[in-house]
Amino acid sequence: MLGKLVGMLPGAMGGGLILCAEIAAVVLPLIIGYEMAKAYGVFERPWPRLRPLLAWLGLGPGALVPLLAGVFLGLLYGAGVLVSASREQGLAAGERLALAVFLVTCHAVVEDTAIFVLLGGSAFWILVPRLVLALGLTAWLARRGRRRMQT
Amino acid sequence: MHPLFATPDGTGPPWRAALGSAVIRGRKFLVFLLLNILPFYLLSELLSASGALAYISGFLAPVMGLWGLPPEAATVLVAGMLVNLYAAAAVAAPLALSWQQVSVLGFILGISHSLLMEAVVVRQLTPRYQGLTLLRVVLGLGAGWLLALMIC
Repeated sequence: MLGKLVGMLPGAMGGGLILCAEIAAVVLPLIIGYEMAKAYGVFERPWPRLRPLLAWLGLGPGALVPLLAGVFLGLLYGAGVLVSASREQGLAAGERLALAVFLVTCHAVVEDTAIFVLLGGSAFWILVPRLVLALGLTAWLARRGRRRMQT
Repeated sequence: MHPLFATPDGTGPPWRAALGSAVIRGRKFLVFLLLNILPFYLLSELLSASGALAYISGFLAPVMGLWGLPPEAATVLVAGMLVNLYAAAAVAAPLALSWQQVSVLGFILGISHSLLMEAVVVRQLTPRYQGLTLLRVVLGLGAGWLLALMIC
């Protein structure tokens, strides 16, 4: 029994290393892309066309930078941009909650999806329902918030 | 001059600095990847080869069936929620899962992963981080069930 378990270690080690290499081949180019996008201020561009979408989600224009940072970089990798931007932009408590609800449901969309696509999953079924849920939940929260303010 | 080539402060074009920080980030990521994948991959192989996985998963079979998943996939969910998605991938790789099962796992864990680490970040945004963490688990498992009904 023990001999069998020890005997399988090299094979398992090899399998683990191959998985590491596959993930690295996907994520390392992403890291370069993220750093380039950050250096050229992509996450700080105002993108006025997105304003109606933001308003529908209960977010002001100031929430765009932290939202983009979270959606593309993720909560941990983008934490620096996310937290400092939401402070600098002086987001109201309600806006911060809406941002948090959206981002806990849907963040690091490229990387998280890629990991499971590597294992054979469908990018569509992993990503699209998650995006729809995040949009729906945040929009619902915004509508509920507005109704509360009226009454 | 085009901003792509501008060097106003003599530090070189922005892409050079970006490449530099990408190299640092990339190196850190590789170490992180090895530390996360290898132990969990080995653990997963050992658990299944020793028969321990089959024993534990016997109890979980009816529950995991809700998501169209084999009982062993419970370990993938636990690794993803408590550790991170890389650990979950390492645990999932040795199991022979169909594309539907991988998609359901990817969807559930996409919503609900690294719960402890990420709660620390969410706390910086809102004091209601505990409720939001609970929401992630409920939403992930609930919506994952619906997805499983649709594609499995």
